[in-house]
Amino acid sequence: MLTALATLLSHYRRHPGQLAMLLLGLWVAGALWSGVQAINASARDSYARAEALFTTGLDRLERRDGEPLTRADFLRLRRAGLPVSPLLEGALEAPDGSELRVIGIDPLTLPGDSAFADASSSSQGELTAFLTPPWQTRVAPDTLPTLSVNAREATGAEPRLDEGRLPPLVLTPALPPGTLVMDIAAAAALLDSEERLSRLVTAPGELERAPAGLVLTPADTLVSPGQLTESFHLNLTAMALLALVVGLFIVQAALGLALEQRLGMLRTLRALGLSGRALVGLLALELLLLGLAGAVAGIVSGVWLARVLLPDVAATLGSLYGAEVAVTLNLPWHYWFGGLGVTLGGLLLAGSGVLWRASKLSVLGLGQAQAWRAGFVRQLRGMALAGGAVTAAGLVLWAWLVRQPPGEGLLAGFGLIAALLLASALLLSPLLALALAGLGQLVRRRPLAQWAMADLQLQLPRLALAMMALLIALSANLGVSSMVGGFRLTFLDWLDQRLVADYYLRPPPERFDAVQAWLSERPEVAELLPTRHADATLLEIEGTDGARTPHLPVGLYGITPGESLMPSWPLLATQAGRDDAWQAFAAGEAAFVNEQLAIDQDLAPGDRVTLSAPGGRETLAVAAVYPDYGNTRGEVLLATPQLAERFAAAPSSIGIVLAEGADEAALRDALRQRALGSDTLVDQREVKRLSIEIFERTFTITRALSVLTLGVAALALLASLLAQARERRRQLAPLWALGVPRARLVAIQLAQLGGMSLAVGALAVPLGSVLALGLVAIINVAAFGWRLPLHVFTGDIVLTLATATAVALLAALLPAARLWRTPPRALLAEESDT
Amino acid sequence: MLEFRQVHKTYATPQGPLTVLAGVDLRLGSGESLALMGESGSGKSTLLHLAAGLDLPDAGEVLVAGRSISALDEPARARLRRDTLGLVFQQFHLVPSLSVLDNLRLQARLGGRERAEWTAHLVQRLGLSDLERRYPEQLSGGQQQRLAIGRALAPRPALLLADEPTGNLDETTAGEVLELLLDLVREAGSALLMVTHSPQVAAPLDRCLRLTHGRLDPLATDDRPTSHR
Repeated sequence: MLTALATLLSHYRRHPGQLAMLLLGLWVAGALWSGVQAINASARDSYARAEALFTTGLDRLERRDGEPLTRADFLRLRRAGLPVSPLLEGALEAPDGSELRVIGIDPLTLPGDSAFADASSSSQGELTAFLTPPWQTRVAPDTLPTLSVNAREATGAEPRLDEGRLPPLVLTPALPPGTLVMDIAAAAALLDSEERLSRLVTAPGELERAPAGLVLTPADTLVSPGQLTESFHLNLTAMALLALVVGLFIVQAALGLALEQRLGMLRTLRALGLSGRALVGLLALELLLLGLAGAVAGIVSGVWLARVLLPDVAATLGSLYGAEVAVTLNLPWHYWFGGLGVTLGGLLLAGSGVLWRASKLSVLGLGQAQAWRAGFVRQLRGMALAGGAVTAAGLVLWAWLVRQPPGEGLLAGFGLIAALLLASALLLSPLLALALAGLGQLVRRRPLAQWAMADLQLQLPRLALAMMALLIALSANLGVSSMVGGFRLTFLDWLDQRLVADYYLRPPPERFDAVQAWLSERPEVAELLPTRHADATLLEIEGTDGARTPHLPVGLYGITPGESLMPSWPLLATQAGRDDAWQAFAAGEAAFVNEQLAIDQDLAPGDRVTLSAPGGRETLAVAAVYPDYGNTRGEVLLATPQLAERFAAAPSSIGIVLAEGADEAALRDALRQRALGSDTLVDQREVKRLSIEIFERTFTITRALSVLTLGVAALALLASLLAQARERRRQLAPLWALGVPRARLVAIQLAQLGGMSLAVGALAVPLGSVLALGLVAIINVAAFGWRLPLHVFTGDIVLTLATATAVALLAALLPAARLWRTPPRALLAEESDT
Repeated sequence: MLEFRQVHKTYATPQGPLTVLAGVDLRLGSGESLALMGESGSGKSTLLHLAAGLDLPDAGEVLVAGRSISALDEPARARLRRDTLGLVFQQFHLVPSLSVLDNLRLQARLGGRERAEWTAHLVQRLGLSDLERRYPEQLSGGQQQRLAIGRALAPRPALLLADEPTGNLDETTAGEVLELLLDLVREAGSALLMVTHSPQVAAPLDRCLRLTHGRLDPLATDDRPTSHR
């Protein structure tokens, strides 16, 4: 058996390029898939730790006026018999410049089953050490690099920060990354917070209503980071799956070719006494060996890729969703087996067709390559039928999706896109075969062109898979770039429309009204745009189809409908035009709802919403729906005075619109004199710059994966061309003998490939546009809650066509150069050497 | 060593069933050599494939070393080929990715029957001594066929089946290769069934049969071709 296996593998010694392509396909597919899975696994681990800390069910109490709670509030409530526990939260700067979150707790009053309690103690001795000086700092091992502490010397270490020395470290792996948990007294000393508290917490449901002057936020209304980021990870997984599929296309192309070229060898081995079953078994073993090599290389590279990409992804998740994700990989054991399983499973799927065909071919006909090629005609028929079936399945899915409420069916949306790509890939070869046959008829008076068409038809079986991979990659690339480009345009417009003030000031809540009054007297100020915010529960919706009671937590946001804001604030839908909507809004008769909430709750202008309010219930008409990109929750917009009055909303910020020719420096100086410096004043340009930076970072990984997928498809094409280069030279030799110069032969080869890829590129344009439509109309709505207008950019289309041609020409260049270098006599020698 | 008993074989064709063998009887003893002649398409190769267990008869029995190939499953037939038979093809069917020496030892190693002295003897007798590390594509047609013969004889098979072994070679080379083949078959003590359409190739063998209309006819002594030796 070893001799037979060595004989089978000896093929790759003579064709190392084929082996390299096979391993490359497996490696690239495995690396991209494993890389993204490593990022997802690491992020999920961080979410799980964060959720363990927060969602064990601690209700929150905060002051209604936005001012901080104090130790006196805590003592007052405890004396009144309320089971509340104080919590202090703050941020410290780590030696490497990153931010560390400090949580100070009081383990004696903390509800016993919470993760805070778990983090603080496990035995009486430890509890004492936690509570008494020099206290303890509980920290997860993956936070140690941020503190510049070596893992071996971590326990008991007291790293020094700018704010002072931390209490001795104690490792607690269950804590989220970048989080330091300590006794509230130690945290207060470190944060210099004196008597202030961040909030009070209590066991879930322990308090029926908030004590006077406080707001109670039940734990179950706090959305966990895992929930928020699910769609982000689903998008990443979909892109990685696409890369895996394209990589497996290479594998299948290389495997098919390796088998085809070994048909003679297989027949000989059978004739020499190797049974068919043993031969298929050996081929499967060969697959397994190659698969293991490729998968291991893929996983190792994937982990490396994840290490490189993780800081960017973590920053994106942090800025988009406020989710803390460790920047060091933390991979569970099942990740390794999962990566191996998916790569080997994919390889088995890609190789099963080859094994099946090898087991079915008769030993007597095995050596005839023609038998293989004749089978391609049957395959084309099969592909056309399968393509039709997948199209039908896609149509059924689409019909189901359009009947769903908007925003539903994220998985079905991905299914529809997968069906679209698969159907196009399956129908591509039959379409190309038809087109080539037709073109061959058209050029039948020009023998060389006719030969080129017939020759391309002969090459089609070997190029089909690579062309399918190219079509999928080009379409995905165009679809993703159209979606991202369109989103970018819309987002930039939206930023311009919403950020109309020149400066945004965040005064302390207790000084908000005084600062606003002072600013209104300043000559530099043309208009002030104060905002407020509050939380409420959407109790009831009265629409045209009756009343509903969703009981959904929503954000309330107050804006000032003044001269600056009203003309530019974007509205997606109104009941009776913009003017009427703003008039009702300014008068406090109506509210606006954001697109997320409108889609999620099927709200439209004209509906009425009832919200929970300190005074009971408040009912408002919905006058308009507005876009709210980047927000993860439903939001109701009201005029600031109304919000303050009816919902006792806490002050948020004051937008300052400067007067024409205002002296900005004088205003800034005056603000500084009132202790309202750079930490409370933000320049609008800075806000925009940060927003755009976050936006770009969000799509960095999407773009990177999309480009990598295209690279993989180019490799698939190169693999196919290299693998058949030798046989191609044999086919070209007779033409040379008949008087066609080598330069012409090279040019024909390049034209054949370039033309076919251009045709594939042309097919990718409508397919990519439909894909972009699916992304903006279904996936984005379901994943993020907002719908974007479809933009297809001419530049992207030209780039797609140019990429298709360039990829083909680049891939064809190496075989063409070899042909160019081959002496003419050698061509004929190769031709006779069969 | 080889026996055909009333063997029938029919193929389905677009024009209807085509009977290739219609009740063939044949016996070939140990160490005996037999030439099988016939026109193109007369069924010579089919008979050889049946003898090798590459195909099965529709009716009748094919016995190799006393075992009916129809009674054996596919792996057992493969084992029979590996251990008992040697095959030489007109198209050589060498493994292009193995060196000359590895090709020569391939079947013997597959069956675990490699004998170093015999292999060395074959290499020397076949004139491949200086070519051991080359690959098949670097050999001439005659050298490739000599290598194919060496591969078939390396395990010292009880029966060698040769399908037009000199059909692809020029006359001089064909004569040299045939002479070598018969010498080595004698040295190995193998029986030989050779399919050929050439009377000159058939001449030096012990017996000669002609396949016509699906049946075997012994050639009259006078009709037997004269050896070109």
